[in-house]
Amino acid sequence: MLFVIEADDHERRTDWPMTGMRVILAGGALLLAGGCIQVKAPDKPIEINLNVNVKQEVVVRLQKDAQDFIADNPELFPQ
Amino acid sequence: MTRTKKLSILGLAAAAAMGLAGYAWAQGASPALTAAISAGQVGEQADGYLGIAKPVGNDVRAAVEALNIKRRAAYTDQAAKHGVALREWAATIGCQTLRSRVKTGQAYLLPDGVWRVKDASPIALPSNCG
Repeated sequence: MLFVIEADDHERRTDWPMTGMRVILAGGALLLAGGCIQVKAPDKPIEINLNVNVKQEVVVRLQKDAQDFIADNPELFPQ
Repeated sequence: MTRTKKLSILGLAAAAAMGLAGYAWAQGASPALTAAISAGQVGEQADGYLGIAKPVGNDVRAAVEALNIKRRAAYTDQAAKHGVALREWAATIGCQTLRSRVKTGQAYLLPDGVWRVKDASPIALPSNCG
């Protein structure tokens, strides 16, 4: 019993991502230990940084218009 | 061709040249600003605005600020026309200025906040420039 509790503590300490299998294992361990089951949503969800991609898509789409804008407004872009 | 005609053509050419110069003067940046750009004291930023890379006089600083205000107004207009955020349009302009307008020896600022001076090779553009 003591071992199982330690395993659970170990997981919390190292802050590993709770994969599905880990959640099940941890839940099972807690059940065995007689504690209540706590399945927490991960604090930090997997981050997919769409920001850069969206911007790149925007930049690529606007590129030609931006070129024309600079050519049409040389007074704004001294060299 | 008579001498009078030659003279009148010369006169017309001179007037046209002066007119062009006047137009450029009215439209263009202050000589102090262009000098500062050439000297690498003022340069283009990846965000689409001009920035100050090295200490400059108050006149140049004021010229940079004035030009950025004009840019911002024009960018706001363009962003609305294209249905994008101001900073997105501005960043697109930034990509273009870094790509094709910054000349060798001039300063430029990347998103990492470090002013560099362009050498013979093309500027390593930010990843979002595509």
